[in-house]
Amino acid sequence: MSTSTAAVRSPRKIGAPVRWLLGKIGGGIFVLWAVATAIFFGIRMIPGDPAQAIMGGPGSQASAEALAAARTEYGLDQPLYLQYFGQLRRLATGDLGTSYSLKTPVADVLGELLPPTLILAGLALLVAWAMALGLGILSTRSGVLGSAVASGLEIVSAAVPHFWLASVLIMVFSTMLGWLPPVSTNTPAGLVLPVITLALPLAGFLGQVMRDTMETAQRSAFALSARARGESEVGVLLRHSLRHAALPGIALSGWALGSLLSGAVVVESIFARPGLGRTLLSAVTARDIPLVTGVALVSAAAYVVIMAFSDLAERLVDPRIGTP
Amino acid sequence: MTLARPLANRLFPAATALAAALVLAGCTPGTTTSDSSDTAGTPVTGGTLVYASGDAEPSCLDPHVGGNYPQALVASQFLETLYTKDADGTLIPWLAEGSTVSDDGLTRTVKIRQGISFTDGTALDAEAVKANFEHLLDPATASSTGYLALGKIASMKAVDAATLELALKTPDNSLLESFSMPWVAIESPAALKRTQAENCAAPVGTGPFKVESWKKQDSVNLVRNAAYASPDPAAAHAGTAYLDAITWRFIPEAATRIAALQAGEVQVIDNAQPDAIAAAAKNSAIKHLDAPRPGASNRVELNSSKAPFNDAKVREAFIHAVNIDASIDSLFFGTAPRSYSPLSSVEPLAYSDESLFDYDPAKAGELLDAAGWKERDAEGYRVKDGTRLSLSFPVSTSQSIPAEQSIFEQMQATAKESGIEIKINLLDISSWYGELAKNDYNLVSAPYTKVGPSVLSILFHSDSTIPAPSGYFANLSQVKNPALDALLDKAGSTSDEAERKDLYTQAQKLVLEGHYLLPLYDQQNHFLYSEKLQNVGATSAVATPLFTDTWLAN
Repeated sequence: MSTSTAAVRSPRKIGAPVRWLLGKIGGGIFVLWAVATAIFFGIRMIPGDPAQAIMGGPGSQASAEALAAARTEYGLDQPLYLQYFGQLRRLATGDLGTSYSLKTPVADVLGELLPPTLILAGLALLVAWAMALGLGILSTRSGVLGSAVASGLEIVSAAVPHFWLASVLIMVFSTMLGWLPPVSTNTPAGLVLPVITLALPLAGFLGQVMRDTMETAQRSAFALSARARGESEVGVLLRHSLRHAALPGIALSGWALGSLLSGAVVVESIFARPGLGRTLLSAVTARDIPLVTGVALVSAAAYVVIMAFSDLAERLVDPRIGTP
Repeated sequence: MTLARPLANRLFPAATALAAALVLAGCTPGTTTSDSSDTAGTPVTGGTLVYASGDAEPSCLDPHVGGNYPQALVASQFLETLYTKDADGTLIPWLAEGSTVSDDGLTRTVKIRQGISFTDGTALDAEAVKANFEHLLDPATASSTGYLALGKIASMKAVDAATLELALKTPDNSLLESFSMPWVAIESPAALKRTQAENCAAPVGTGPFKVESWKKQDSVNLVRNAAYASPDPAAAHAGTAYLDAITWRFIPEAATRIAALQAGEVQVIDNAQPDAIAAAAKNSAIKHLDAPRPGASNRVELNSSKAPFNDAKVREAFIHAVNIDASIDSLFFGTAPRSYSPLSSVEPLAYSDESLFDYDPAKAGELLDAAGWKERDAEGYRVKDGTRLSLSFPVSTSQSIPAEQSIFEQMQATAKESGIEIKINLLDISSWYGELAKNDYNLVSAPYTKVGPSVLSILFHSDSTIPAPSGYFANLSQVKNPALDALLDKAGSTSDEAERKDLYTQAQKLVLEGHYLLPLYDQQNHFLYSEKLQNVGATSAVATPLFTDTWLAN
């Protein structure tokens, strides 16, 4: 569709995708700057000495000399504005600094722990979509009662807290049935329970939104005319209603990824799974400023990218919005 | 010494409670029950033990750096100490052969066992031990527990390969007890010369296992030291460990740990929660090892440096106003006997006085009336000069397990009946330290593990009210009593064992009768393990489990 029209586009129109891309990049940089700034000042407002955190917390009873040495080494003896601009300069060059608690470069920590979290969140998003669409299609095909049952299921699953769901799943599938391990390693079996834990509440939420749209679409004039043209019910569903239903789902997927990343804090801790969420939890507890900043920036970057993709996907699915 | 349990442990008490309820409801695990009661026969060589720790993952595997319990747990598998304790709790030499002290108590000569090598091939000798002590005393190492333990050493000299001579600033009869702690374990001096990051990743010791790899947030892999030659005199066998390897996993959530044990994915879990221990008692496939930590008992300390606890009557009233016996029993399912001592029950010199701690609201009321807290406000709390009798109680969520937090809530409820308000403030560990440093507390509960009664000096000597540069001070009840200081000083330096016992008893009487603390129970240290695991039970001087004699039955 877009390939055939591109050739006759005016010069102004050819610039549109570039402008769209530049806009997204600019917006992304702004978000990252805002996150870095908020964290820099936010963390310094919490009482407690960063040099303490470097030396292993107040319990380590580090000597005054050791604390002074740590302050110098990490530049904490400089005025706040110099520290801030120094931090921005380092971040701009891609230097995320060294973790206080792990004593390793933050980039290395993230490089190791980002993939398992992305696998977890990505799979959960896919499974949530599959569940939401599956339930939506089933319920539109099974009348008012089916719709009511589906709606009830969605409301319940959307409201289930992650830690509760995780505990129940472990109890049933690990302890009682012995089918799946309660501790998640990178084996496929180890991923099942954490993915379901994250996917189920999200599927409930996505399902509510998508099924409503789907049902409205099924009753709409264009569905009627499609049926009149001899289109089968399945055809109407696949070619028309599903496309409508997908739109709010896609729009919500950027938001969903954010919720998946926060859900990962809980899920990774319960299933003892290495990842960004668990790292964030321990980094915050240890007041590990570089690591907290690194995790937040990577999450923000992921969010920006996903939002851009969902925007793009929305435009591809719905020609009314127009491709960039 | 602090023990840091991960925040995640505290985040999901509801999940744990649910899991426990289901376990208690009779959901038996899939593991099979062996009918044979005589599997502890012939040891089997081989196999990998998977250990699941609920303690925080250490940021450094070298327990010299910092010095907390999570480090001690794993380091006990690959590092060894100069002294240790046998099953009866008697101090025995280990990497040391013995030790003598001069008549004035100022020169301590330690004989080092010969013919022992570190796993990097270098030999254990007096120079090596000296290098370890220097490492511990170096401010750059940032040792807490080990640094305090060696604080009285003025200088040291390796006289020959087997002899280390220590000159002390003042006599210190707790030195050998300190030598038995994993935070003062002996490492290869060649390895210590590497960067701190390198040494943190894989410290080198003389232990039955050695560190092979460490995957952050997942596990530390330990493999058998094939040249192991230093079992302590009380060990069950002399050779290398039976197990090929130990996978030391970090599983922060209590419900997941017990599920992993029941599923047979792991064979040992630590930080077993009271509900899981009670459930395991009904399950023949899971065994329980109760190993209370030495040092101080778990206790609530009363900050005597400011109102209202600067008034001894109010402290005494508080002790009688809270009813905790019944709640300990119900919340801990009978797994935590009540303590009436400042010291752990495993400390031979612990002194108890149950008579001081009875729940007696009438007596509390009389004492509070006498102290001038006569009026009551609209909410029923006592008031004096327009101020409510209100106590702030910062609680570290990473140090107090949910059952303990519930005990504190029960205290709060019973104290209210006597007109005392307790404001419990749940905090992460950094904020908790912050409240203590600001002297912003009336009640506090902090663990302290150390071998021997000298922990009393750390907790109750007036010197310990002076904050370290970090702001932390260990004398949280802020007792400043010259008579007590004198007792503690003398108890720590006497060479007469009977006198030491007498002096420490007097010191304990003084703090108990001064109502500076409310003892609760021993520091809870429970392990659950699979019945397939044989000969579990040997522990280090600080009650970390040792697996040299342990084997996996087929």
